[in-house]
Amino acid sequence: MLASASFVGLLIVIGLPLWWKTTEVYRVSLPYDKISAFNTQAHYITTELTVLATDEKTAADVAELIEKAFKDCDVLKLKITRGVLPEGLRRSLDSIAEEQEAVEEVGGAFDLTQHNKLYVVQRSPLFQDVWLGTERVVFFRDAKAADTLAKVLKQWIYEPSVLRGARSETADSTRRVRFPPGQGYHVVLSVVHPKPQDLKVEFNARDAIEDYIGSFVDELDVLHNFTLKSQWLYLLNFDFQATEVKDDSEWTRHWAVREERLHLLLTALEGRAATHVSDLPTLNLAFYILPCAHAPLVIYDSDNKKVSSPVQAFMSPKWGGVVFGNPAPSDCGHAPTWTPPITLLMGTFIAQLRELLGITDKASISGAHLEQLRSVSPRRWEVDSLLRLRTLEQLSAAHHDLRSLAQLLGEISNIVINDEVGASINSAVTSSVGAGEAAARGELLRAYRTSLDAYLAAESAFMEPSLLALLYFPDDQKLVYF
Amino acid sequence: MWIRFRKILLLVCIIIVYVAADDFKEEIFIKPLPPTNLYVYFQFITQNEETSFEHSHLAPRSLGEIMSRYQVDELHLTLTEGQWRHNKWGYPILDASSGAELYAWFSPSVTDVDTHWRKLSATLSGLFCASLNFIDNFNTVTPQMAMWPMGAIKVNKNVTSQLRYATLPREIVCTENLTPWKKLLPCESSHGFATLLNSRMIHNTNYHSIGVHVRKICKVEDCSEINLEIKQTVALVYDLKIINRLDWSFAKLFGQGLPGPCPLSSSSKIYVDVSSNDTFPFKLYPLPDSVIFSQRGGSDTTLAIYNIIPTSHMINIGVEYGTKDKVLVTIPPPLTFNRYVLGYGKEFGGIVTEIKNNYWAPIDIVLLENAPWWLPIQLSSLRINGEAQSKLVKSLYYSPGRSRQKPYHLEILMRLPSKSTTTITIDFEFVFLKWQEYPPDANHGFYIGSALISANLPTARNYTSLPVTGSTMDSIINASKPWYPAIFRTNGAMVSLPTPDFSMPYNVICLACTVVALAFGPLHNICTKELVLKAVGSPISLRQKIMNLFKKKQD
Repeated sequence: MLASASFVGLLIVIGLPLWWKTTEVYRVSLPYDKISAFNTQAHYITTELTVLATDEKTAADVAELIEKAFKDCDVLKLKITRGVLPEGLRRSLDSIAEEQEAVEEVGGAFDLTQHNKLYVVQRSPLFQDVWLGTERVVFFRDAKAADTLAKVLKQWIYEPSVLRGARSETADSTRRVRFPPGQGYHVVLSVVHPKPQDLKVEFNARDAIEDYIGSFVDELDVLHNFTLKSQWLYLLNFDFQATEVKDDSEWTRHWAVREERLHLLLTALEGRAATHVSDLPTLNLAFYILPCAHAPLVIYDSDNKKVSSPVQAFMSPKWGGVVFGNPAPSDCGHAPTWTPPITLLMGTFIAQLRELLGITDKASISGAHLEQLRSVSPRRWEVDSLLRLRTLEQLSAAHHDLRSLAQLLGEISNIVINDEVGASINSAVTSSVGAGEAAARGELLRAYRTSLDAYLAAESAFMEPSLLALLYFPDDQKLVYF
Repeated sequence: MWIRFRKILLLVCIIIVYVAADDFKEEIFIKPLPPTNLYVYFQFITQNEETSFEHSHLAPRSLGEIMSRYQVDELHLTLTEGQWRHNKWGYPILDASSGAELYAWFSPSVTDVDTHWRKLSATLSGLFCASLNFIDNFNTVTPQMAMWPMGAIKVNKNVTSQLRYATLPREIVCTENLTPWKKLLPCESSHGFATLLNSRMIHNTNYHSIGVHVRKICKVEDCSEINLEIKQTVALVYDLKIINRLDWSFAKLFGQGLPGPCPLSSSSKIYVDVSSNDTFPFKLYPLPDSVIFSQRGGSDTTLAIYNIIPTSHMINIGVEYGTKDKVLVTIPPPLTFNRYVLGYGKEFGGIVTEIKNNYWAPIDIVLLENAPWWLPIQLSSLRINGEAQSKLVKSLYYSPGRSRQKPYHLEILMRLPSKSTTTITIDFEFVFLKWQEYPPDANHGFYIGSALISANLPTARNYTSLPVTGSTMDSIINASKPWYPAIFRTNGAMVSLPTPDFSMPYNVICLACTVVALAFGPLHNICTKELVLKAVGSPISLRQKIMNLFKKKQD
């Protein structure tokens, strides 16, 4: 009796704790309280705006109006400083006819290279109310232009609605188009040539992508690393189910393709383009050269109307863009050879890339003039607005990841949390707090980089395969001894 | 002077133009293997003008991306079904061990070769839908003497340490591997010779092997500039005895004729080895464009060459044999080999490799035995012709395996005397595996991979491989050399390890459940149920029923 009692006692005193200890799941402690304290909707970005007018009163009026316009905007906090234009600058601004030169004059007096700093400058001899170029300078004519100015700041430069969309959990229309944030992207130009035996195409894909796309993405190197690649895909035949329509063009016909049909081309492209082997997300640019027998191809929209543009192209959100190359009848004569119009082609690709990377289209505002893009590089203030956008997007994505992960790990107690996952969660939490503070202080570049760190750390923690190690039959680990 | 300068300038321009473009060639080599077999070898060669792969023209970008990401200098991947019979068929152009075989040289800048190797094999497994992801340290060896790079790699570097070699002898090759393989071709399978590669037809052959070989080749004479060559091969051996007719044609072999060349290829040629025409007369149709007589290392070959140009009709090349019944004595190639497993019971066994030198001069060979960790081979049990200390052995490398981590690896450099048979025996013992380490269908047996035999043959008899510097088939014409390097794979073998009775727990469960069900059912019934008599009376009228209802309510 005593022997069995002592045996049972020993089992309870030593065996039970031993069993409990040896079947424990390894879990690093996580900052649950910090993660639950996240308030994504409270994040905002401070940005600096300097109003320079010819006299004190105009400056004050304009600054006040701008402040009023942005009062109810919680994602963006304007730090407005106002001042009077220096005498010399004012005189030269009044005398110079060219706006571009005027911008250079302002650049001589103020530092325009700083991110997140915009100058609103009065310039009396302006034809429009407001003028906006590629630099971080906005010209306005007088105090009466303040309303247009506020509109320009709101719809073109700061775009608080887009920023709010980036901060929210649900995707808005621009977020559905642009690529998710990331450290780097591959840009792959695929030249699709279905009939190489019938048409000789003189096109250097390497030079085209390095010259045009290269100089575009060089301006965005504060945001992402880009790797440029190109390839040729031959004999990829896709049946557009086009119908021949007679017209009075050079070809005396065109092939009409319905818009809904186009997206099926992407499936055919995906099969050959080898996008899945890249370790980074790939922005696909496809140049589809139509065989002479099926040129020119014209896209018809859902209302059965011709899409009238010099280049027939379409874009697929978060995938890339396709441009159709229509050779002219003169190229398809004897010994067919075609040289694609490279500037038009690459210009279309850049327009698609801008949208895929998050630069929005600017709708026209009456009384305001937006200088057309003369080169491939993006406008400087567009880069700033991208930085703001991505900072908020990365922060909210990191918060979302961490919150879901914390909830998951809290609910399922069998998931192993190893040191690696713990470290990346901790670093994501620290970086996201740091990024939020930097954004509030207005240090945009720093906020962007730390938010990117936070986002990457959160993503890697969320996607860590070791989390799944013991998830199957979790309770077997404990109960297998019975 | 000026004219001469202009000439030079013109020449330079031509060279620049020549090297500046990517180049694609497709070739078929057909060789009857008397008495009844037919060897068909496809090769598709893509030469990339640059080694960076960022901008590809004809070369597949998917492969390039992998090569550049893992810094691979040279890559060889073959997926093979069947066994090449060297003593009957002679030597193939490229030998391959059955199953999957992968070996690669990594760039000298790679320090952590093992990690890169694992990532490479995992990525290739995704690209080719093969189970290459099962390649790990425990089945990878680094051959010390048996292998050398085929491409232009600087010789002063220690390339052996950058080499990894692995085979998966159990791998089954099928359509799902051929489809991604075809996608790497610039013409895919829509045009050119690849249209003949019908999986329905080629997987019915006695032996088929698909391969991808990437190497660096010299762009200029002094090798200061380097090109990248991607060679995709298919080797097929048909057994014509099955269809009871020796006559063959494209329509019979591939199910269809050849529609024409790939529009992107700079040369599309078909070579038919008609040397056996003297002993086994046949008629080739349509007539070849040219017939070339080649003398190489003491063997004469006659090649009929077709230069395929775009046509409107299907090209159907075939032969018709004259006399049908003729007995042929085949002359065996200079070096033949055989491999088998010894022993009985489940404790000890042995692997025997027999190598036969049929030539009148001694031949130097390197034999690489690569035994998995579950088949421990002991160096002390190595016997060559029954002797422990043989004079034939010139050099020996042995790396013992470690359980679940490293395979056993033995390499012997030896000189085979003329007209002799050498038997190399090594013993192994069976080990018990953990129950999870058994593959599905464990009673099928366990495959041992092929041994590698690399030899410098003194004669080109039965030798069809291309010279190292050549890429196309025409490089074998009159390519006499002092020796002919070759790497052969012996046949694989199978052992059956002590396998537990995997169905035992299932049987026990079934039996136990049956017993419980039989015993428990009646017992439970007896304990819980009792027999009660049911009152049988006259049927109740409606009125009474209503009365009863009221009564119940009152209760």
